Amino acid sequence: MKLHRIYAIILRYLYAFRRSYDRVTDTFYWPLIDLFLWGLTSAYFSATSHTGATFITTVISGVLLWIIVWRAQYEISVGLLTDLWDRNLINIFISPITFSEWLISFVILGVIKGFASLAFAATIAYFMYHVQILMYGVYLLPFFALLLLNGWWIGFFVAGLIIRYGTKIQTLAWTVAGLVIPFSGVFYPISILPHWAQNISWVLPTSYIFEDARQFATHGTINLNNLGISLVMSIAYVIITIWFIRQGMNKILQKGLVNLE
Amino acid sequence: MNVLEVKNLTKKFGKFTAVDNISFSVKEGEILGLLGINGAGKTTTLQMLLGVMTPTSGEINYFGKDLIKHREDILEQVNFSSTYTNLPWVLNVKESLTFISYLYAIKNRKKRVEDIMQTFQLTELAKKLNSQLSAGQRTRVNLAKSMLNYPRVLLLDEPTASLDPEIAKYIRDFLLEQRAKYKMSIIITSHNMNEVEEVCDRVVFIKQGKIVADDTPLALAKTLQISQVSLVLSAGQKQLEEIVKQQKIEMTTKGIFTHLTIKENEVADFLHQIMDAGVRYSEISIDKPNLEDYFLSVATKTKEDKNNETT
Repeated sequence: MKLHRIYAIILRYLYAFRRSYDRVTDTFYWPLIDLFLWGLTSAYFSATSHTGATFITTVISGVLLWIIVWRAQYEISVGLLTDLWDRNLINIFISPITFSEWLISFVILGVIKGFASLAFAATIAYFMYHVQILMYGVYLLPFFALLLLNGWWIGFFVAGLIIRYGTKIQTLAWTVAGLVIPFSGVFYPISILPHWAQNISWVLPTSYIFEDARQFATHGTINLNNLGISLVMSIAYVIITIWFIRQGMNKILQKGLVNLE
Repeated sequence: MNVLEVKNLTKKFGKFTAVDNISFSVKEGEILGLLGINGAGKTTTLQMLLGVMTPTSGEINYFGKDLIKHREDILEQVNFSSTYTNLPWVLNVKESLTFISYLYAIKNRKKRVEDIMQTFQLTELAKKLNSQLSAGQRTRVNLAKSMLNYPRVLLLDEPTASLDPEIAKYIRDFLLEQRAKYKMSIIITSHNMNEVEEVCDRVVFIKQGKIVADDTPLALAKTLQISQVSLVLSAGQKQLEEIVKQQKIEMTTKGIFTHLTIKENEVADFLHQIMDAGVRYSEISIDKPNLEDYFLSVATKTKEDKNNETT
């Protein structure tokens, strides 16, 4: 593994980030809009239904923590799409870069941008709603790590599909993560979901993390079992989806990378 | 010493065979033209040589090493340029070359990028976005990119397409200079036969996935054994037409010129014959066949073969 090759891909996207209003919007605008909408809505409900401050905290924490999943997933899927749109993928893969180095670059980009988005949104949340992401204390670290793992497997899965079927299914890069939200209990407990939906929730590692995060926000306690289950599931999903994207790559190499569009 | 050896390379897409058991090699410092009509299998071959398409069977060895097993080591010493690939639209020229330079183990990257921009007359375009470049400028940036890692083997797909003749000549001279200085080997696909004749030491001609010729451009052209005789007639038009008809010689008239395609060893006899018949001409030129004639003859034959197959 050569660090300069990983740096090359990161550099390419950081150069692009400065000039791409789409990317700046994705990093700062949408988290801001989410905070406004969810924050004000929960503040209104909290005031009218006497649910208390923990309600706002729970919802805003959900918004903040979801940013990590979303950014990690987004960097992988949209990163691949960007090279397809630019017809630049061939320039990357005729170089000595390995497939794993290429994937790692996106993973690192997801961490950098996820952290930037989270820091920005957390600051806004603190000043607007007095919600502190640091309230999780040391647990913020495992939450952050687990949510990243989840963003990665969703990203690898979507990228694996795009590599197989091309840009005609590019909409998945923006929509698949959204599909996971309702079943992950980001804003509400899994127990309020219908039974069939709860079955889906329990196979999603994200649901265990958000259950724990909510429990901590409301009761100040953590169920370490949940974190353990989520860790095992997340690692398994990451391994499976890396295999899936690798298989997709092998398949496209049969057709020729030039033919991927 | 061979820097590239291709052995029994085959690529099949289902029942269709795009590349059919081809073998060739490239020597150190050699410039090889890979020619063929559209769909002959050139791009498929190039993709396999770059490791971005998996062959169905066969071997690709660079510097005596297998491409699949030693991909990283080999691609460090190989590069590619094509008018059909782009660098990222939202990056400027310097940023594009800088990020690409990090993909390779290059010493003093900053200086290399500056030097290569100067060589390809890109310094003034350094801050220009790739999306704002003309087709010719983009080709130059792609070529500059392909030279960043001092490649020992350079693969070029239509390297001078969309370039001004002056810049195209500059690029050809540059390639010849690189070969002379660093013994760089180059594989070129091009539809510009004059260019191929000018720079290539050898030509591999691919037809329907198979190599049908592997020789120098001159030797290939000579296989045609025909000459193009052009006359400006001053008398004897009818007599000429009669002789041409009798001997089944191909004749076309464009403006004041009458063009005749005659077997190379029969030109002298033919000219005596028409003089005796009373044909007079004020100007004459005899052109020997060139690579373009060879290309056209193979292309025409390919079309005829396809027509015969369908009927």
